[in-house]
Amino acid sequence: MTKRAPYPVPAAREPWPGSPKYWQSLEHRGRIDDPEHSDHWAVNAPEFPKGHTDTPPTEEAWQVSRRGLLGAMAATFAVVGAEGCRRPIEKIVPYTRMPEDVIPGVPSHYATVIQRRGDAVGVVVESHEGRPTKVEGNEVQSGSHGAADLVTQATILDLYDPERSTTPRKGGAAASWGDFEGELHAKLAAYEKDGGARLRLLMQPTISPTVLRMRSALVARFPKARAHTWSAVSDSNAREGARIALGQPYNSLFAYDKARVILSLDSDFLQTETGNVRSTRAFANGRRMRTFRDTMSRLYVVEPSRTITGGCADHRLRLAASDVERYAYCLAAELSKSGVPLGAISASVTRLANAEGIPGKWIATVAKELREAKGHALVVVGARQPASVHALAHAVNEALGAPGASLTYTPCADPDETDNATDIKALTDAIAKGEIDGLLILGGNPVYDAPADLSFGDKLAKVPFSVHASLSFDETGERCTWHVPRAHEYESWGDARALDGHVSVQQPLIAPLYGGRSEIELLALVANAPEKGAHEAVRATVRELAFASRGLTGCAPQGEGKLECHDAAGALVPVRAADLERDWNRGLATGVTVKAQPPASSPAARLAEIAAIIDKRRLPPRVGAGALEVTFAPCPKMVDGRHANNTWLQEMPDPVTKLVWDNAAILSPATAQSLGVASKDVLKISVGDRSITAAAWIVPGQADGSIALTLGWGRRKAGRIGDGRGFDAYPLRTVEALGFAPGAQVTKTGDEPYFFAQTQEHNSTEHRPIAMETTLADYRMRPNFAELDSPPPRALPLWSQVDYSKGHQWGMVIDLNACTGCNACVIACMSENNVPVVGKTEVWRGREMHWLRIDRYFVEDPKLGASADEPLIVNQPLACVHCEEAPCENVCPVNATTHGPEGLNEMAYNRCIGTRYCANNCPYKVRKFNYLNWHNDSVWKETGGLPETMQMQQNPNVTVRFRGVMEKCTYCVQRIQSVKIRNQRENREIKDGEIKTACQQTCPAEAIMFGDVNDEGSRVTRWARADRRFGLLSDLGTRPRTTYLGKVRNPNPEMA
Amino acid sequence: MAYWEPIAELGEAPLVRPGSSMGEVTHDIARVTETRAPRGWWMCFLVAVTFTGIFGLCVCYLFYRGVGVWGNTAPVYWAWDITNFVWWVGIGHAGTLISAILFIFRQRWRTAINRFAEAMTIFAVICALIFPGIHVGRVWLLYYVFPIPNQMTVWPNFKSPLLWDVFAVGTYFTVSLLFWYTGLIPDLATLRDRSTSKVRQTVYGFLALGWRGSNRHWQNYERAYLILAAISTPLVLSVHSVVSMDFATSVIPGWHTTIFPPYFVAGAIFSGFAMVETVLLIARTVFKLHRVVLMRHLELMNKFLLLTSLLVGYAYSMEFFIAWYSGNQYEMAHFLVNRPTGPYWWAWAWMIGCNVVVPQLYWSKRLRTSIPVMFVVSILINIGMWF
Repeated sequence: MTKRAPYPVPAAREPWPGSPKYWQSLEHRGRIDDPEHSDHWAVNAPEFPKGHTDTPPTEEAWQVSRRGLLGAMAATFAVVGAEGCRRPIEKIVPYTRMPEDVIPGVPSHYATVIQRRGDAVGVVVESHEGRPTKVEGNEVQSGSHGAADLVTQATILDLYDPERSTTPRKGGAAASWGDFEGELHAKLAAYEKDGGARLRLLMQPTISPTVLRMRSALVARFPKARAHTWSAVSDSNAREGARIALGQPYNSLFAYDKARVILSLDSDFLQTETGNVRSTRAFANGRRMRTFRDTMSRLYVVEPSRTITGGCADHRLRLAASDVERYAYCLAAELSKSGVPLGAISASVTRLANAEGIPGKWIATVAKELREAKGHALVVVGARQPASVHALAHAVNEALGAPGASLTYTPCADPDETDNATDIKALTDAIAKGEIDGLLILGGNPVYDAPADLSFGDKLAKVPFSVHASLSFDETGERCTWHVPRAHEYESWGDARALDGHVSVQQPLIAPLYGGRSEIELLALVANAPEKGAHEAVRATVRELAFASRGLTGCAPQGEGKLECHDAAGALVPVRAADLERDWNRGLATGVTVKAQPPASSPAARLAEIAAIIDKRRLPPRVGAGALEVTFAPCPKMVDGRHANNTWLQEMPDPVTKLVWDNAAILSPATAQSLGVASKDVLKISVGDRSITAAAWIVPGQADGSIALTLGWGRRKAGRIGDGRGFDAYPLRTVEALGFAPGAQVTKTGDEPYFFAQTQEHNSTEHRPIAMETTLADYRMRPNFAELDSPPPRALPLWSQVDYSKGHQWGMVIDLNACTGCNACVIACMSENNVPVVGKTEVWRGREMHWLRIDRYFVEDPKLGASADEPLIVNQPLACVHCEEAPCENVCPVNATTHGPEGLNEMAYNRCIGTRYCANNCPYKVRKFNYLNWHNDSVWKETGGLPETMQMQQNPNVTVRFRGVMEKCTYCVQRIQSVKIRNQRENREIKDGEIKTACQQTCPAEAIMFGDVNDEGSRVTRWARADRRFGLLSDLGTRPRTTYLGKVRNPNPEMA
Repeated sequence: MAYWEPIAELGEAPLVRPGSSMGEVTHDIARVTETRAPRGWWMCFLVAVTFTGIFGLCVCYLFYRGVGVWGNTAPVYWAWDITNFVWWVGIGHAGTLISAILFIFRQRWRTAINRFAEAMTIFAVICALIFPGIHVGRVWLLYYVFPIPNQMTVWPNFKSPLLWDVFAVGTYFTVSLLFWYTGLIPDLATLRDRSTSKVRQTVYGFLALGWRGSNRHWQNYERAYLILAAISTPLVLSVHSVVSMDFATSVIPGWHTTIFPPYFVAGAIFSGFAMVETVLLIARTVFKLHRVVLMRHLELMNKFLLLTSLLVGYAYSMEFFIAWYSGNQYEMAHFLVNRPTGPYWWAWAWMIGCNVVVPQLYWSKRLRTSIPVMFVVSILINIGMWF
């Protein structure tokens, strides 16, 4: 008898009937139940990406032209002779006069801020010799907590977009700023005569105090002029709800970490809603499990289409968007019945509470949970739900004791902003009536995204003098008499007030690349404000805010570097100018200039007003077979379309559908079946007399009868990258139906199936135990559940082991419980590591280059009530796990990938000859091969390679890989090295947390931890020993350095 | 009685038809190089040159753009390139096997085919070497795989099976070339002696290394040939074993299989014989070598094909059996379901059909002695072995 333990076969995912099933797509799911294959459930995963077995449609296929082939041959022979000449032939000029504080090769970091919907995200931008290259979160600023979301990460590429507007244009023809100013002043002088009665301003919602101050200055100059606000993606309903419920449009600041039970009513607060970065941090903190003894919050989500918030839910109810309101009333009625004081609302909601089609448990049990968690319960409502639901949520939150505990109200930045839809309607009506001579459109793209029933674009032609200031010469710029380039947020001074009330200053990191001017400068120009430059204007605003925060008024220069200020009581308070200067500089350095005021006592919900609003509501008709519903949501990538020309975002797989370079009309399997529609079918979707065409994509978990469309696609004039990508949903969006449109009809156009590229079936795992998860109850019984299901190998290694106990040993921990699947890390990694973009067809072939990907698995688990139609989701970020026994290292014939002394699996690009053996042998499939010269030979091929501006974005500390070379995650080795070099020079030890990888830095959920695993006290060591730990495919004996922590769900047993 | 004469007691029959003299055989064979090539040869050559030219153009384009011009992609980053390599190396096995092993076992019928087989081996190995050469991402740095002392003091990775390939195939090529050339020396001398033109005399004279056919020459020659045969014999087993380790040493299900070395060797001999037969049948027809290559030789080859087909079939079934017997679902998934029914089921069907099913025809004497049947079958085996 042998004494050797038998070779451990990894735990099967389905050794018993009724155990959870993991699948990556519906096609894959379909094969699981196929009777022919039922014995071999493990195999039905699609093994190859589509590009392996299919050919792309001809127009997309990569075709070789005769000229191209001849050119190639000529070049081949030429290259053979020219090998070795690698010196640049262009003239280069060194600094003749060295700028101060610029050390070549040593990047500087500047704190600034950018506006993301209604919140300010503080960022720290890395700048190499004056060119910003990478955006990171700012730890000091509360809208960021050191993290950033995916769009914020990608804004750096928007800055360098080669197709940005470069010059003022009159009627489309290039003109100069001088021409523009001349004409503007002439017009303004004319408008001034009647107080600007015929002048209008159209802006996007802003949180910048200086912009607001300039706007008031403009209104002061033109008292009869009106400023309108429009953004296709706004919080108007939430503001209106707060105004009804609280008397003022307060911002709600939810402390998800303090809540035990959270109910989201169609709110994607983890991704597309205002304040998503801070929400994600708080939400993850509320569910962080150090040991099995910890507690975690429970999230209920009611939503029509899948979002990452729904993916994080412990219980998710798919309900048409138009039914969410009814659900809210049913729930409020139930709460009120069970003794939660809702006052006058009780009667109103009880009258409207029609629970038809809503599972009883979702009312009774959820109400019970919320009630029992009083003081720790939160109800969050999505931006597209009507104001009445928002108002009701305020009442419910108050009745549940949330304000003060897990909910804070803060005053909003712009109290004058009105409902965006009615505002732009008022503007359009005024244009139609011929009341407007001059229209200044500052930012935004209303011709593309204004409600379709206004036909804003056509009416714009009636305005004799229209000015459009924008980053790109887009659909709106085309239709205006003047277009002027706007400066990017990284090119101009500005400021922003975060949700919690603090103000950060936005610093320019680079002089405007194309001579653009900021909103503040343009407003100052029109308002004829005393401050000519944005810098001066922002300083003045900040000074005012600083004084106001100290309760000072009426400041005037006093001489001797002092200011004469008075407090509220009128007493003289001297303020030294030097102090102001110091505060300003400190604010610039830290990124927070004016601290938030402590919130005043919470305003009380006005129950009678809320009841009155609810009484006035007429519920939309039920969604049924004949009357479908179309929902509109901001795209997690494009938002409202403003990032359409961003290659990183285009190529990033959608967090739920995993589609790249496209959006789709999302249908549920049942709806698709009843309509006879399959994925990729081209549909004509009409609401009333408006219609669009969009290709279908079936996603399990979508509400039946509801079709989800994301906004921001199908741009007509976004640029080479964004034009014509995806399907434009705006033509269906009207003033009355901005969030969702009931009464939609769908017909198939009968066109060829649409060519989609998506990554969800790439890298099949064939059901190996990959993403470990369990329920909280099970976790408490089996704290080591993850390792039990993914046991390390018991066989002895073949050769002697390397001693890794000395020196720094880098390691990573990824917490699947914290990960929301938002994809911010993917963009951060692309930005840091010069990861190329390959284009739609190449992604379809399976050649996407993302070093870090988020694998999304659907989970079907009868125990958790997750059926094939309503599966759960588990996300798994996966990059190189830096195996100690790396299969890739053994097989490289030229030693191009080797193990570093600090445990890194290193790639020597210069040594790599591209045999691709390492990628074959990588069980995690994290190695990416440069099949072509991707930077130049993919999406930018027609323009002769990666545009120069975009080259400016590239990180000089990371090699730009040429074709024929393998690449993969390096644990951001350049960051490790730069910290090591600095610390060696300063002769001190590396502290834990000093080195942060790009993905870790940006993760809003802090799901990624990195550090020295030899350091006993480091965060990564402590977490790597957590009971939930497991090694990915550890039965292979690869000993990965990245440790995963299993996901824990917290389902309510009563909901089962 | 010379050693080459048949031993009637053992039931051996003469290798060539009675009545053929040595001189006739020499004439039959030498004439191929001395007369103008027949039209059939020119047609075949033209087709081959055309395809080689197209191949060359495509390779230029490949070098210009990068490996991305192929459809190959994740998760298996090799496709056409390494398949071709393995296929050609496999084919290259027949030469050594026929020459060396059959020589050592004194299978004298081999003399009818050994020169074909050896030449084919040389060219097959050259073909095989093209593919790892062009499939790499950066061809201009291919020399990194050779252990050349360099200023970077970086050596190749001796743990990598790809490097073993370099050595194994390189050794095999060298030994096969020497073996082929050594065997050719007396024949080159014959050609030299029959030469009528100055050029032929000089070239063959140079290549024949002054062979005069003396006893001493023959003695040295026989000894050298035997030694080379002895060196080659383990190579027959080692080369494809090493090639198989490209796959066997990996951690990928379906590749990570200990049966691969013998299985690859059996497959290699199988495909090599099939290729020799294909070439032989063409040459026999084009150059009218019916007197030299007898039906009996062909039949023997077909019996050999049947045997190796059964070996390969056994290897396949062992793969399936072990996949099932191991209880490892991923192996099962791979061998029992994904390959027969996955997206590449047709490739699997070709493989099984051509390699296991088709050669069973040779159980019938009538079929294994029919030239058209054996031509079609040998081509089918070559196709099947590619998959």
